[in-house]
Amino acid sequence: MTLLASFAHEDTALDAARALREKGIGGVELFSPIPLHGADEALGLGKSKVRVFTLLGAILGAIGGFSLCVWTATRFILPTAGKAIIALPPYLLITYETTILLGTLMTLLGFFVVGRFPAWRDRVYRPSSNVDRFVIAVAGSGAADAETILRAAGAESIEREESE
Amino acid sequence: MSATRELMFDHGQPSYSEVNHDVIKALTTTTWRYWVTLGISAGTALLFFIAPWIYQIIVGVGAAGMNRNAMWGTYLSNFIFWIGLSHSGTLLSAVLHITQSDWRKSIYRSAEAMTLFSLMTAAMFVMVHVGRVWFVHWTFPVPNPMELWPNFRSPLMFDVMAIVTYLTASSVFIYMGSLPDFAAVRDRSTGLRKRIYTIMCFGWRGTAHEWHTLSWAYTFFAVLVIPLAVSVHSIVSWDFAMSTVPGLHQTIFAPYFVCGAIYSGTAGIVTVMWMLRRFMGFGRYIGQLHIDNLSKLLLVLSLIWTYINISEMFTGWYSGTSFEYEAILFRIKDGPYAWLYWEMIAFCALVPLALFSKRIRTNWNVMLVISILINIGMLTERFIIVASSLPRKFLPDAFGVYFPSLVEISITVGSFAIFTTLFLLFVKIFPAVSIYEVKETLNPLRKKEAHS
Repeated sequence: MTLLASFAHEDTALDAARALREKGIGGVELFSPIPLHGADEALGLGKSKVRVFTLLGAILGAIGGFSLCVWTATRFILPTAGKAIIALPPYLLITYETTILLGTLMTLLGFFVVGRFPAWRDRVYRPSSNVDRFVIAVAGSGAADAETILRAAGAESIEREESE
Repeated sequence: MSATRELMFDHGQPSYSEVNHDVIKALTTTTWRYWVTLGISAGTALLFFIAPWIYQIIVGVGAAGMNRNAMWGTYLSNFIFWIGLSHSGTLLSAVLHITQSDWRKSIYRSAEAMTLFSLMTAAMFVMVHVGRVWFVHWTFPVPNPMELWPNFRSPLMFDVMAIVTYLTASSVFIYMGSLPDFAAVRDRSTGLRKRIYTIMCFGWRGTAHEWHTLSWAYTFFAVLVIPLAVSVHSIVSWDFAMSTVPGLHQTIFAPYFVCGAIYSGTAGIVTVMWMLRRFMGFGRYIGQLHIDNLSKLLLVLSLIWTYINISEMFTGWYSGTSFEYEAILFRIKDGPYAWLYWEMIAFCALVPLALFSKRIRTNWNVMLVISILINIGMLTERFIIVASSLPRKFLPDAFGVYFPSLVEISITVGSFAIFTTLFLLFVKIFPAVSIYEVKETLNPLRKKEAHS
C-alpha cells in the first residue's frame, strides 16, 4: 500500500519529509514541479554518482582520442614537409574534443543509470505534482505511521493506492 | 530578489498552472497560418536548396563555380555564418546557467534550439561543398580495406571532430533540459501524442531523486559545453588561419571568430525572441528585462568586435610585409568588395552604438531591425573573409575576382528556409519556453514568508 499526501506549499512538504525522516520512516518519495532547494538534505541525498561517470568518460575520451591519432598515424607513415609524425599540438586538439565528447556521453549514461531511466512501467504518480502540487508518497510498512505526521504537517489531501 | 522577480514579467506573474497551460497550449493548438508558413518554408527549402544541390551532384561541383582560384566561395562563408549563429545559444544558456542568472530561464530553450538547427544547417553546407557527398564518411576514422586513415594533423579533421562533438553535446543539452517538460506535455495530452511523449520523457515523475540526478548531470553538460563552444569556432578559424594566405594567416583569428560568433548568435536570439512574442504568444514570458539584457550583451560584443577589427587592420599595417598590407588595402579600398567591407562596419560597429540608449534597447521592433542588420553584416563579414583573400594569393598571375554562381546564391537562400523549417517543427515538438524553469523564477509557493 502506498500513501500519497498532497501539499500546496513547498515548505510544508519539505517539513513533512524531514519529519518522516526523523521518525525513521523509509520508502519516502517527494514529487515536485520544480527542483526544490533543501530536498536533497530533507531526504538525505548526497552527492550524485553521476560525477563518477563524467570523470570516467573524460579520462576514456582523452586516452582514446590521443591513441586514435597516434595509432592511425603510425599505420602508414606519411611524412609531410618534415613535420613530426606524432605531432602534439594537433593531436591534443583532437584529444580535447574527444574528452568532451565521451565526457558528455558518459554523463548521459550516468543520468540513465543513476536516475533509473528509462522507466516506462506504471508507477505511483500524480500529474498534479508536475503542475503546482507537492506530493509525498510513502510506500511499505511505514505508511500507517506516516499518516498522522503528514496530516499534522498540513497535507491538503491524503489518498491510498493499493499497488504491487 | 523579489524585485528582479517582478521585473521579469511585464504583465504580472502567472500562476504555476498558467505556465503549464500557456506553454502547452502554444505547443498543441495549431492554426492554419502555421501550416501555411511551414508549407512555404519547406517548399522554399526544397526548391532553393535541395533541387540545386541535386543538380550540382549530377553536373559536378563545377556548377558551383569550384574551378577557379577561390574554391571555397560562398559555401564556406555560409558554413562559418551558420556555425557562428549556433554559438550563442549553448554558450549563453550554459554560461548563464553556471552563473545562476534567472533571466535566462524563459529564453534559453529556444536559444538552444537555434544552436542545434543552425549547426544542422552548417553541417548541410559541409555535405554540399564536399562534392562527392556519398564519400562523406571518409572524413571519419572508419576502418577500410585500403587501410587509409584521415590525417589528424589537418585543421579540416579538427573541424570534423569539433562539429560532431558539438552536434552531439548540444542535442543532449537541449533534450535533457526538456525532460520534465515532456512529462508535463504527457500529463496534459491524450491518444497518440501522450504515447509519444511518454516515450520521450523516459517516465519522468519529478521525484527528489530524479531532480537531484538531473541537476547534477545538467551542470556537467553545461560545464562541458562551454569550452567546447569556444573550441569549435576557434577550430573553424584555424581552417583559415593555419594557411599562409595573406589576410587569413593571423593569430587573432580564433578570438575574432569566437567573438563574432557569439555576436551574431545573440542578434539571432533577439530575432527569434521577437518571432516567439509575435507569433507564439510568449509576450508574457519574454519581456523588457530580457530584451534589455540581450541588448546590453550585444553592445558589449559589438565593442569587442570593433576592437578586434581595428587590431586586425593595425597588425596588417604594422607587419611591414607588403603581402599583408596589400591584402588589407584590397579588402577595404581597392578590391571589388570594398563597399561590402564598409557596409559590414556600418551594420556591426556603428549601428549597435545606438544601444547605449535604454529607449532603443527596450524597444522590441527597433531591436528586431538592429538584430537583422547585425546578422546581415556578419554574413557579409564571412563572405569578405573568403572572397577577398583566396583570389588574391601570392601569384599575381592567378589573381581573380570571385562572384558566386547561381547555384551558390540559390543554396544560400535555401539554407535560411531549411533553418526556418526546422525551427517551425521544433516549436510544435518541444515546449519553446521551459515550463519548470519559468516556475523557478516565480514567487515560491511557501506558506511561511521567506525570512530572507
